[in-house]
Amino acid sequence: MPLSSPSYFLFLPVVYLAFLLAKDRFRLAVLLAASYGFYLALGAPQLPLLLALVTFLSYMCALRMAASADPAAKRRVFLAGTAACALLLICVKYLPRLLEGSMSNPPPAPLLVTVGASYFIFQAISYLADVYLGVQEVERHFGRYALSMAFFPKLLQGPIERAGDLLPQLNKRYEFDYSSARSGLILLACGLFKKVVAADRLALYADPVFNDVHAYSGVSLLVAVYAYSLQIYFDFSGYTDMARGTARLFGIDLTENFNSPYSAVSIADFWRRWHISFSRWILDYIFKPLQMLWRERREFGTAAALLVTFLASGVWHGAAWGFVIWGLLHGVWLAASVYWRPRQKKLHRLLGLEKSGLLRAWQIFVTFHLVSFAWIFFRADSLSDAFYVAGNLLDFSGNSAQISAAGIYGFFKTSVLMGTQRRELVFLAAALCVCAASGKERIELLRLRPFWVKWTVYNALLAAILILWVSKETFIYFRF
Amino acid sequence: MTQMTRREILSDIFRTVFDDPELEIGPEMTADDVPGWDSLSHVNLILAIETRFKIRFSQKELLTMKNIGALLKLIEGKTA
Repeated sequence: MPLSSPSYFLFLPVVYLAFLLAKDRFRLAVLLAASYGFYLALGAPQLPLLLALVTFLSYMCALRMAASADPAAKRRVFLAGTAACALLLICVKYLPRLLEGSMSNPPPAPLLVTVGASYFIFQAISYLADVYLGVQEVERHFGRYALSMAFFPKLLQGPIERAGDLLPQLNKRYEFDYSSARSGLILLACGLFKKVVAADRLALYADPVFNDVHAYSGVSLLVAVYAYSLQIYFDFSGYTDMARGTARLFGIDLTENFNSPYSAVSIADFWRRWHISFSRWILDYIFKPLQMLWRERREFGTAAALLVTFLASGVWHGAAWGFVIWGLLHGVWLAASVYWRPRQKKLHRLLGLEKSGLLRAWQIFVTFHLVSFAWIFFRADSLSDAFYVAGNLLDFSGNSAQISAAGIYGFFKTSVLMGTQRRELVFLAAALCVCAASGKERIELLRLRPFWVKWTVYNALLAAILILWVSKETFIYFRF
Repeated sequence: MTQMTRREILSDIFRTVFDDPELEIGPEMTADDVPGWDSLSHVNLILAIETRFKIRFSQKELLTMKNIGALLKLIEGKTA
């Protein structure tokens, strides 16, 4: 069940109660059972089976690696295990599409047949690699390892956890801590707010356009692209907050996935702030090894490694050309910056712009627009749609005709606001303000406020969520 | 080559790659401690070390290098 569905809010208290009431040594089992139950509830029984298979496979391979004294044998087991996991992922995700012979349209949503698989298979590969490199101790307790793979808050959309971060936490004895539980619930609520109040409301602007691109041009396309850029951020970071908030209830700290990504000053910086667990994965397990392999080619080797890495990133998101082009765009920009960066630094130094606030603002502006442009290929229903949007973004000729026909106000209402009511607009603006104003620190500072302030805010948050809930079936990153 | 000399050579390489004649390296230092040490300069650093000491690092060694102390140990092992 998606984390924003009502059934989740029945599931969670039941599991939490069971967890709290259970004896220490049964807590792991409670969470494991709950996680598999959670996965089974999706109605696609092959998924929990796949999870069990990958868990067992990676667990056994790691044990074999630890048992072999011979480095060559270790390497063989590592390569075999990784290849098996990768093959499973390819079969589950791409084979149906390739057999169908069509990469031109994204798969029909919701693509429940693979939800979660991309995440836990990547986590398994990361575990194998870390054990092989000797940076991670083998986990001999199967239950604990199985839970690190299946833990339900992170099962469907990550974060992709490192064994070194998660396993030690699963090993600790759980002690109820009111402060953690409270901050977990607040995080959960904030995530829910971001998703059902902000993201799904922004979809009211993005969806009509992206679902029928040829009916729109110029300004409407721009609005939709901006709306989608914000939508995908609130959607995914909202989910991550919900996952991390839930995990905190059980005394687990999952990794941060976002760090104000749209305040990035370059594409490289963007990837240090967006879907952090994923970008760290591709950095550590694809980019760095390739870069080292091709180090004799210096800048060219690094640029090539970046291209391959981000091509892989695109493909990971799905078997459609749109994702591939999205990944390629980021790869090309990053590869170009390998050459451009040193010269750019010299230029800035020459012009004395180095510490300039204006420069920073400009860089943020450019980066945001590059990223938003790439999102077009990510979101569009087909490649031709994407090219249409990209090609007609700045074509305002249609808009001037609309203005002469319906007047500025009429044009504004239909082509910019997409016919949404003023009330919705106000809610959206309010939601965005709330999100902008409530950074991590502010939420923490709320704890220090007097009782009536805190509880007014909490209740207002809850009321806002319940009243302003826009109904949408799934999260965007569900599909990967 | 004595240990002292290896360290001095490594220091010299660092000073050249990071264009900082004053740079002092310590065994606990990592990429976070040296300004300008990103993945590209890391590549240049590794290449400079391999050329100067006439050694070659394996993939595994390169991916598990923790700090300068570990780097120095590896160099010692390969030039013993």
